[in-house]
Amino acid sequence: MQLRGPRAAVAVAIVIIVVGVGVGVGVGPAGGARAWAGETSAAQHLTVFREPSSSNAGVTVIHPQTDVDTTLGSAVKLAAGYSVDIVSGATPAIFGVDAVSSATKFSDTRQQVRGSLGYTRPVADVTVGYSYGWEHDYRSHALTVATRSDFADHALTLDLSFTHNFDRVCDRNNDAAVGNPLERLALVKSDHCFEGDPLIATRHLNIDSLEPSLTWAVTPRLLVQGGGTVQIVDGFQSNPYRRVELGSAGRTPQESLPSLRQRYAVFGRGAYAVPGIRGSLQGMLRVYRDTWAVQAYSAELDFHEYLTQFLILSALARIHSQVGAVFYRDARGYRLNGPVGQYWTGDRELSTMQNTLFGGKLAYLRVPEAGARPFFNEIEVGAKFEGLFYELASSMAPNADRRRAWIGQLAISLRF
Amino acid sequence: MRSPSSSERRAGAGSTATATTGWRRLLRALALALAAASVATGCGHVGVKAHQRELLADRIMRFDADPQERAADEHVLANREGAIGGTGTSGGGCGCN
Repeated sequence: MQLRGPRAAVAVAIVIIVVGVGVGVGVGPAGGARAWAGETSAAQHLTVFREPSSSNAGVTVIHPQTDVDTTLGSAVKLAAGYSVDIVSGATPAIFGVDAVSSATKFSDTRQQVRGSLGYTRPVADVTVGYSYGWEHDYRSHALTVATRSDFADHALTLDLSFTHNFDRVCDRNNDAAVGNPLERLALVKSDHCFEGDPLIATRHLNIDSLEPSLTWAVTPRLLVQGGGTVQIVDGFQSNPYRRVELGSAGRTPQESLPSLRQRYAVFGRGAYAVPGIRGSLQGMLRVYRDTWAVQAYSAELDFHEYLTQFLILSALARIHSQVGAVFYRDARGYRLNGPVGQYWTGDRELSTMQNTLFGGKLAYLRVPEAGARPFFNEIEVGAKFEGLFYELASSMAPNADRRRAWIGQLAISLRF
Repeated sequence: MRSPSSSERRAGAGSTATATTGWRRLLRALALALAAASVATGCGHVGVKAHQRELLADRIMRFDADPQERAADEHVLANREGAIGGTGTSGGGCGCN
């Protein structure tokens, strides 16, 4: 059952989007308030994620996303957005040796509204943003402050961003199992979450993220960027529904994860223009560590080329390799050896694994010719398709029945 | 159930030693980047002039030219990998802030 709060938020989101588009149309070329109006843009993206399973229905996520922004005067920028995750499929409630056969169907809808206010000057800008996300068993409030400053005749750009999340997670009331995680029971369904039911508990999760980056226009053809992320996650981080089979006696307590996680990532990337073919090549390397001992490396290569004056072809290849959390074991390991201390997980993202992603995109980008007076300044229509392939370290790893995923995206954006 | 090793206990407790090392690595990387930029500034050759940015200003040279597309991509990967963050900032070197 949906709560009244989310419904009200949806209404607010729709109003924001409608007002945003209305303001945009009003201040566009046909409007009468051009003296104070800048540019307005609206974008609609539809992403479909499909991860088939060899044993059950797999997972499907449909993700529509709407964003609008407008500039008031020469310095103020307003932005608003709304997105939805419509998730359905089958997933095992118990991570164990027979996990796949015990998969149960599920469906949920996650929604998010967001807005931001920016103040822009010729060499710097600052933006303050807020987002609210909700689903039956999760609530998230996030505040973001971001700045961008140009130095050295715009050759260097320093970006700083800080975000704090105030999240709440619905969980089974496990007061009777305090101090003994083996006795913890999993949440069965999301009914009565956040309603004061004594059998249901609300857990808190606070996330602080700091992201600095520096961009440098090195030569007329080369652009480089470096930076990192520091994130501190403090609170309930387990999947409240997931149980993990431990030992040979068949105990299946709720997943148990540490309440504190500190994550660190650094990256470097570059973009190089190849004017001879009207193309560009972009590359990225990233290193990640956290206090759960997850270590990861990611590398990405992108190629973009104008096929015609208005048509851009992009190709993407990405590889990600990670070492799992120190308390991770596969299903056989948990059955034969039991847990690692007081923590256990059935989460694929905490396992040792590698994935590769290949994709392509075609974008039609149209800017009016000189002398033309259409209602828009720029229009872009894009279609993207990607394949994601997992290589797990064990056939008894989480989601071992789901070895690949397909991602499709359609996008249209308009500036006027 | 076997007892956890010392390294396992460290991970579970959110080891300050590991955290400190992570901070140091990040700060070291940032310091290197800033030092490189400072050296370039001192040499009077930070980067390209405004009139040389024709190629850099092109859409295909921008990092994450479509921020919404990037957000959707990160959303997908964040739910499938244990490593998030460090993905950079959208934009480019057009000097058009």
